Formats: sequence, structure tokens, C-alpha cells
Amino acid sequence: MRVSRREFIAGTAAAPLALRGQQRPRLAAVCTIYFRMSHAQHIVGRFLEGYGWNSTHHHPPMDLVSLYVNQIGKDDVSRERAARYPAMKMYPTIAEALTLGTSKLAVDGVVLVGEHGHYPRNEKGQTKYPRYEFFQQIVKVFRDSGRSVPVFNDKHLSWNWDWAKEMYDTSRSMGFPFMAGSSLPVTWRTPSVEMPEGARVREALCVCYGGVDSYDFHGLETIQCMVERRPGGESGVKWVQAYRGENFWKAYQDRVWPHELMEAALCRSHTLTPARQGFNNVFPTFEDMKRLTKDPVAYRYEHSDGLKCTMLLMDDLVRDFNFAAKIEGRAEPFSTQMYLPMPDGRTTLANFFSPLVNNMEKMFLTGRPTYPVERTLLTTGLTAAGVESLYRKQARYDTPHLNISYQPTKESTFWRT
Amino acid sequence: MPKRIAVITTVYKYLSHAQHEADRILVGYPHAGAWHRPDMKIVSLYVDQKPENDLSAARAREFGFVVYPTIAEALRCGTDKLAVDAVMIIGEHGNYPRNEKGQILYPRYEFFRQCVDVFEKDGRAVPVFNDKHLSYSFEKAKWMVGAHERLGFPMLAGSSLPVTWRLPDIELPLGCEIEDALMVGEGGSDPMDFHALEGMQCMVERRKGGETGVRAVQLIEGDAVWKAGDQGRWSKELLTAALSRSDTPLGLTVKDGRTQDLVHNGELPKLVKNPWAYFIEYADGLKSTLLMLDGALQDFNFAARVRGAGLMSTQFLLTPEPNVTYSACLIGKVEEMFVSGRAPYPVERTLLVSGVLEGCLTSRVQAHKQLETPHLNVSYQAPKERQHCRA
Repeated sequence: MRVSRREFIAGTAAAPLALRGQQRPRLAAVCTIYFRMSHAQHIVGRFLEGYGWNSTHHHPPMDLVSLYVNQIGKDDVSRERAARYPAMKMYPTIAEALTLGTSKLAVDGVVLVGEHGHYPRNEKGQTKYPRYEFFQQIVKVFRDSGRSVPVFNDKHLSWNWDWAKEMYDTSRSMGFPFMAGSSLPVTWRTPSVEMPEGARVREALCVCYGGVDSYDFHGLETIQCMVERRPGGESGVKWVQAYRGENFWKAYQDRVWPHELMEAALCRSHTLTPARQGFNNVFPTFEDMKRLTKDPVAYRYEHSDGLKCTMLLMDDLVRDFNFAAKIEGRAEPFSTQMYLPMPDGRTTLANFFSPLVNNMEKMFLTGRPTYPVERTLLTTGLTAAGVESLYRKQARYDTPHLNISYQPTKESTFWRT
Repeated sequence: MPKRIAVITTVYKYLSHAQHEADRILVGYPHAGAWHRPDMKIVSLYVDQKPENDLSAARAREFGFVVYPTIAEALRCGTDKLAVDAVMIIGEHGNYPRNEKGQILYPRYEFFRQCVDVFEKDGRAVPVFNDKHLSYSFEKAKWMVGAHERLGFPMLAGSSLPVTWRLPDIELPLGCEIEDALMVGEGGSDPMDFHALEGMQCMVERRKGGETGVRAVQLIEGDAVWKAGDQGRWSKELLTAALSRSDTPLGLTVKDGRTQDLVHNGELPKLVKNPWAYFIEYADGLKSTLLMLDGALQDFNFAARVRGAGLMSTQFLLTPEPNVTYSACLIGKVEEMFVSGRAPYPVERTLLVSGVLEGCLTSRVQAHKQLETPHLNVSYQAPKERQHCRA
């Protein structure tokens, strides 16, 4: 599968534009659950209440008119929001949210937020968030109405690769603009730097934190939004191998991934756990890292063009996302932190959702995704492949299905203004 | 040969400024994507107060330096002549009284004066870094800068705010025309208002003509602050712009996660029990405002209206404890001066801000009157190079 830049633009340009005439686009939100600090609250709330953006409190020039919430728990805030914003109606089914209770699609865009909520885990540890199932119900309305509108899918497409691929293929065959992914590619960076377009990346790595089938996806998107800018663009991934626990430390000592990139990434962290009592910011030794890091996980993978990347989950060592790469012709590693103002005590607002919502707005206004969904298709597959390798006792897992090619956007799309 | 450093401090305990700043010389610090180990060695330490959790003795043992009972001995390393290449004065934290204006009487001037005494007696002066403002007293601060000029040693001072990361990474164009400027912060006086004032000063000093000093200051508090906003004395547009950069609105955001337009949703007066507004009138006519809004937010955000560029705003990112990596940005600048013998930005900035802060706190205890400040005729040019962390 190969999508050239020209086809990518042509495909999206041919899609129905959300903005027809002078009308403000009308959006439906389809969510798993809506509580304080859930993804749905962060995303839907920004459409309703506005958000700080470019020196003003920005109100998106569109109306979120309908909401479907799959699970209403004790801590639900969606009903409070619906009461305060009566222009947004809650519907008991996805179809009704999209048709506004009529028989035909009645919105100009759909925001799908399938994160959080009580869903079963499978034997591989994947939470079976119903993004695919929600998506299927959305496209059924599209089919029944003979019309499609742009869809944004928060985070990865599905825990199940085949379903994720089907979601992507459906968006292509039906010809609607489709965007997805994490906040990591669009948030602030410290320093505020972009991978130079065409940089010959030899190795790339991310040191981050969080769990498997969860923050690993964010770490993979952190790497992918950078390395996709290498000459020739993205060409897919051949294999993935996971390392966990003692295997992780053995791989570290065997230099399976470059220590200099790990050091550069750790030097971008603002949350490096002090290895010594009484010191607030010291660089950890190998023994320190081993002692401090709880259940470390690495996904090591090779792209079709030979680029090798490593995503490291190092819980309790850091609480941020740090990227480093070896670039040809550059003596020192290229590195930055994808900075998340995280409301875990450090902030009160998860403002990294602001650039994510801002990118959605652009798609809903223009009908053109601001970055290619193929990125998230690939990181979805990488996440599932990492989980698969862990499940197969950390054996190398070949990924011929991840022969995903695409071109990056020329423009940087991370938060800089 | 590594540079020999003397550290003169009030207290050396976990997360005190002395600990996280001096430790960076001892164990290195993150800089431009690498763990930088400075070619500097702390050879002596003077510490004014040793509480139970004092770390100075343990550091001295581990890193092989001596804690001396006096500042002169620390600078001379027990010999009869100045025996260090540079001095770090870190007079923050520790138990010191407050005066009637609420200023903590940290003995920075007193420490500095003893250093200058050694320089004069020994006929040689070395670079000095003074953490935070120079002194609670402008007269004393002026004496400090005067000594630096008289003896010709490099001097750097101030807060981490001017050198930390910015979100977004902006700088006002050198020589721009600033129509209005505002900073919003929190945390009380006089530790945090100094940081906020210096953050604002490092932005506005880039205006056309450079810095020419401050002719009047005023501090008002309570409902008068909201009234002043209604009357247009400070700009709600600029406060909106500054708050658009905040990651820490309180109140309803904490309660249920929602974003807020705090300037227009009516919540500010409910959240902020005692707002303070610091009004600064510059000699060239620029007016700027610092709003300290404890209870509304927990970060520091700047906005200005710039002719031809419109609104410009940014957050000065104070990264979290315990790493407080912003202090690594500051120590990078200190090291730059110790190595090159040149201060990367003028100490006159900190001199002016020290005086502005003292003036505002004096206004507060004099019935919030506007005070003329002819003594704050401090002129200087902003550095051409950007100095905040961006590499």
C-alpha cells in the first residue's frame, strides 16, 4: 500500500467539505464515557467552552450539537454539560446522535473519543475500547444517508489490527477525511524544534512512561511524527521486538539500542526521579535506573528502509515524553521533549488537548486532515505488534502487514504559537 | 584547570536554592540535550544557617571542599589572599525576619559587601553571581552594582524566569514599540512577585530606545484591583491574552475539568480573595502591570500589545519539583559568565526590578499611593542575543 502526497491531497480534496455556504459546521461527538479529566471531557469541553489559544479565549467556529455517551457513571459530567449547553443534545444511540433523531445524517463532522470507561481486557492485556464498533455505526449512517463527513478518532484506531486496517480502508473507499492519533505530535516541545525535513535519521528513540496498550501508543506517535520526515517519507515497519523486565536490562547492557540516545532523551526530561536522596536532579547510573524503574518495557523495531527505532516505557524514572535521534552529519544527538502540561499535580488543565482540537477544527472547516492518518494507522499497528511480541514471550514479531507508506506534511503541525 | 568557585549562602537544605543551584556544579546538569559537567569545582562554602536538615557538611565531605566559618575565609580558602575564580551568592531560604513592608531581610547585600571587602583588601576581584534580587533595599542594591562598576568585576543576578523555557518560544523583537504590557502570576510577596516582575522586565526592556528607568510605581489591592480593570487602568484584553497561556486555572477547572474564560465568566473575584496590582510607569511613557492573583492560577504568563505585531503572549515555564530544571537554565548562564568573564545580560535589569519591587511594597504601606521614583533612573540596553532556554 502506498499513498503519495498527491493522492493524499486529491483524496481529501475530493471529500465533502464540512463548511457549506456560510453555515457553521455542526458536529456530533461519540464517546465511551465522560467524567472529569477523561479524554471526552477534555476534547468535547473545548468545543463547548472554548480554550486558551493564540492570546485569546478561542471559541471554535462550529457547533457541537449532539453527544452520545456509552457509559454514564456516577462521576459523569456530560449531563451537567448538556444542561449548561442546551444547543448540545444527548442521544441514546450513535445513529441518533449523527442524524439528530431524523432519518439522515445531519452533522458535518464526527468526533470519536473511545478512551476510558469500563471495557474488558483480553488475554494480551489490550483494553477492548469499542472504537471500531463505534466507527462501524458511524459509517452505517454515512452509507444509509448516501453522504459522508470528516471523522476524527482520538488515539489509536483499534486495539485489533485487522479492524484498524478496515477503518482506514473504509475511510478511503468511502472518501471521507479521516484523522486520528495522540496529542504528542501536536503539543509543545522543549526546545521548540522540528526534525528538519529530509534529515537522514539513523536511529530514533523515545524515553517515556505509562503502560502497555496505553502510553506505549503515545511514545510511538512521538517517534513517528519525527522520523516520518526522513528522505523518502515513511515506508513501513518490518518487525517489532519487545523487551520487558530482566530482558530489558539485558538488552540495555547488550546495547540493543544506543545508550547515547537514551542519555540525550533523559537529559530532556523535566521529571527525572532523583537517584540519590537529598539531590533533586542527578543523572542515574545503570544501577540507579534498574532500581528506580518499575516494569520497564522496550519496543524495538526496524523500518523497511533500515531505520531502527526504540520506544522505552520507564515508569517511575520519568513522567514525560522525550525524543532523541541520531542524524547523519550531526555529531550530537538531536533531541527534544514533547511537553505535556499534565494535570497530575503539575497543572490543572490538560492543555495538550488544545492543539489536538485545533487541528480537528481545521479538518472540519476545510475537509482536509492537517496530517496523514497513515501515521496513526502505522502506530496503531506498532502498538498491537509490541503487545503481540510481549505476548509471544518477547519474540521478534514480523510485521509484513505494516508496509504502510506515506509522506509527511511539509508544514510543522506541532504547537508553536 | 577547573574554575575554583566559592558558594556563599544562607542555608543548604533539600530544595533550597543553594542546594539545587550549587549541586549543579557538583553533579552536573541537563543542558542542550546532554548531561553537562562544568569544568568548575566548588572549593569553599559559607553557610549562614545550619538547620537540622543541613546538607553542607555532607556535601563538603563527599565533594572535597571546606565549609568556612566566615565569608572572607571562604573566599581565601583559609589563606591570606583571595583564592577562588568566582563567587556564587545564594541568599534565598533560611529564617530571616520580615520588615514592615513584608520584605524578607535576606542578607544578600551583607554577603556581597564582605566579598567586596576581600576583593578590595586583596587587590583582585572575580565574577560574582547573585541569586534573585540584589537586596530588599534599592540603596543597598545600588551600592552592589556600584561596587561591580568600580572594581570592574563581572556580575550577574536575578531570577530563572527570564532564562527558562517559554510556551510559546517567543521573544519580543528588539526595538519594538510596546503599547501595553501585563504579567499575571501568584505566590505572594516578596519571593514570587520579584520573579514575575523580572519576567516582565526581560520582555519590555527590548522596546525601542532600550530601558530608561521607572518614574512612578503604585501597588493597589483588593476590590480596587477589579475597579481599576473596569476603568481600563489595566487591560482585560491583555489579561485574557496572558491567561490564554496558563495551564493552571483554579476553581471550576479543578472542580470538573472545564476550561475557563476567567476574565469574562465572573469567577475571578470569587477565586481571588486579595488581588494585588503593581503599576509601573516608565520614564519613556510605557505603562505595565503585574497582577498577582493568588487563588486563580499557579503559573506566570505575560502579554503585550506590540505595534505592528498585535498581541504577543507566553508562559514562563516553571518546570516541576524536584528537578526544577529551570534552575539548570540559570546555572548555564552563570557558568557562561564564569568561563567568559562576560555577563550574558545586564545586572541593571535586576537592579531596576529590585527597586521597582521595593517601591511597590512601599506604596502598599503608604496607603497604596502612587510614588514618584526618580532614583529608579536606571538605563541599559537589552542583550541582542536571546537568552532564554531554546536549545
